[in-house]
Amino acid sequence: MAEIVGGFLVPHDPVMFVARDAAPADQAERVWGAFERCAERLAESGATTAVIVGNDHYMLFGTTCLPKYCIATGHVEGPLDQMPGLKKEPVPNNEPLATAIAEHGSVSGFDWAVARSFTTDHAFAIPYKLIVKRASELSGREIKAVPVYLASAVDPFITTRRARELGEQIRAAVLAFEGDDKVTFIGSGGISHWVGTKESGQVNEEFDRYIIDLCCSMNMAGLVALGDEEILTRGGNGAMEIRNFICAMAAVNAARGELVEYQPIPAWVTGLGLIELLV
Amino acid sequence: MKRDVLERVLWNLSVDRFSKVKFKENPEQFLSRFPLDAEDLRMILEFDVKGLQEAGVSPLLTLGYWIEMSPDRQMSTYNRKLGSESKYSGSIKG
Repeated sequence: MAEIVGGFLVPHDPVMFVARDAAPADQAERVWGAFERCAERLAESGATTAVIVGNDHYMLFGTTCLPKYCIATGHVEGPLDQMPGLKKEPVPNNEPLATAIAEHGSVSGFDWAVARSFTTDHAFAIPYKLIVKRASELSGREIKAVPVYLASAVDPFITTRRARELGEQIRAAVLAFEGDDKVTFIGSGGISHWVGTKESGQVNEEFDRYIIDLCCSMNMAGLVALGDEEILTRGGNGAMEIRNFICAMAAVNAARGELVEYQPIPAWVTGLGLIELLV
Repeated sequence: MKRDVLERVLWNLSVDRFSKVKFKENPEQFLSRFPLDAEDLRMILEFDVKGLQEAGVSPLLTLGYWIEMSPDRQMSTYNRKLGSESKYSGSIKG
């Protein structure tokens, strides 16, 4: 049977790529280095598949259909929003596992939207390139990657409670999967950032550290209890991506989280936190 | 609902190549496809991102449409139009 070997919670900040030199050099070096450490730990974990929980930024899904949660079960490429250092490329999906998660959901109360052919955006592509693909290079074995997209940036949002329940469903599906896959989960997003609003460039370190503490102590109830207004006020519209953390945390059911790095970087418009989830 | 149509227009102008070309060729003609009132048309044609956000449009879309279609595509101008003095910008596209 498949096994869950751990997870990570990491940002997917495109400004790292489009304005590399805008951040103070020491902070930038720490963030890039933290991604590399996550890749090393993923390589060491023996994982064969990473399920990356991200969100659309009103690029992939338009006004004609806004799914609450979607899984790619077939061909995957990305990102759509290419940028310097992040070009579109094919992604090796674990199609049998992704299909099993969707099918498990259909008989357990989770009606997944399914993408039979999917183009990701940077929410998937950044952790895929910096952690999963890099871990494949370090380990010499291909690590497949399954995109899961939650409505965490475009309303109507998935609720924090449903994000947790969905993570639990994914966990049950993986553990029931008849294969020798070793699966890790990456919650992609956050922490505080304001996207496209007049507050863009603000970072709330106090809020970020509050979220980090909840994640490292696996306080799922505390995260789920956060109201949308509180998140929007204290962490910005980008912090709604905490839902991706909640889903990944529920899937891993870790013993604890360990902070890999945190850097508040206004020039990159984000409080960037990287956490490893240890089973 | 006003917001829904505005979001459909801005989504097209953010990601759909055909819509971008048609808008650049003749913006008024492109926009005539949609049920927009005079104020909607003004906000879109003048890149009034503050007004669009106040009408309920997602900041993700005002940002995407600005980056793809605005005359100077500068985030400093975008921030100024929003009434922000921020020197930083959250461009989500390269």
